[in-house]
Amino acid sequence: MGKEVSESCVESLLTEIVSLYGTRFYANKPELAARRIEAIGYQVGHQLSERYTMERPRFSDHLEAIKFICKDFWSELFKKQIDNLKTNHRGTFVLQDNRFRWLSHISIDPSPENSGSTQDPSAVAENKAAEAASMHLYFPCGIIRGALSNLGIPCAVSADISNLPACEFLSFSALN
Amino acid sequence: MQFFGGSEISPSPPAPTASGNNAHMMYVFNRNGICLLYREWNRPLRTLSAQEDHKLMFGLLFSLKSLTAKMDPTSVEKGNLGVPQLPGQGCSFHSFRTNTYKLSFMETPSGIKIILVTHPRAGDLREPLKYIYNLYVEYAVKNPLYTPGTPIKCELFNTTLDQYVRGLG
Repeated sequence: MGKEVSESCVESLLTEIVSLYGTRFYANKPELAARRIEAIGYQVGHQLSERYTMERPRFSDHLEAIKFICKDFWSELFKKQIDNLKTNHRGTFVLQDNRFRWLSHISIDPSPENSGSTQDPSAVAENKAAEAASMHLYFPCGIIRGALSNLGIPCAVSADISNLPACEFLSFSALN
Repeated sequence: MQFFGGSEISPSPPAPTASGNNAHMMYVFNRNGICLLYREWNRPLRTLSAQEDHKLMFGLLFSLKSLTAKMDPTSVEKGNLGVPQLPGQGCSFHSFRTNTYKLSFMETPSGIKIILVTHPRAGDLREPLKYIYNLYVEYAVKNPLYTPGTPIKCELFNTTLDQYVRGLG
């Protein structure tokens, strides 16, 4: 679709946004930082969905819109489609990406820090990775929420990274 | 990545030949002499403490670079030490070999020095060193949780590096 931008540039920018909001603007208030980042993502998703649906007719129902997000929208953003889509047919959708591009470079310190921990060391390491990575998920959640609400589906989006590098986005909307 | 050609981590790294631990150890230093990474796969003999070992290695390379540039009989102008150069530009030292090991070295324009110590019959390791630098960029520099200038503690980097080095001939 015309112009291109360096992927390293976008990824570095996103990393800096999270770092800046987390440590300078809203230090010690991670919920506020998360909300700001999600709001930025909302605006971006709104505009992107406008741009990518320019030449298409309107979607007939919610499922068609979600499928658009999973296929065309995701391909424009991440050069691949969503790997798995699940729904409970009552407004909840689960979009699963087996190798989420923006999380592919993240990894944590493998050395055990507290030797007296009762938890299994691999579980502690998983938790720390999940915590650190979760701040980076608010932006993509916002993008999905913005895109869906522009297509007529107001919803709430959350993400689950229990098995990195796979990532699941859950979208809850009121009615089908 | 545009220095070394190829996009991302090149999909086909230089073809590995034998398996097993052919590399002894590896150091990565930054421009200030901080040892960002020290990995050891096979090192039966250790003569100094870790600190002294790193300082010795960094000092050695600094002197070797300077010596090789100054003794260059072919260059017309004075060697400009300390100026960022692409690997292979100007007069750059890249390896030395003894009867028991071979040390291969690469310095990037940003001052990152990668040293790989292998068995003495290893071939030219300049391409593998470039690949390792790409791994460093992908999994350490681009990791949001890593602060540049500190020792690298990224699990993904360590595992990919170990895998790659084990596959080197």
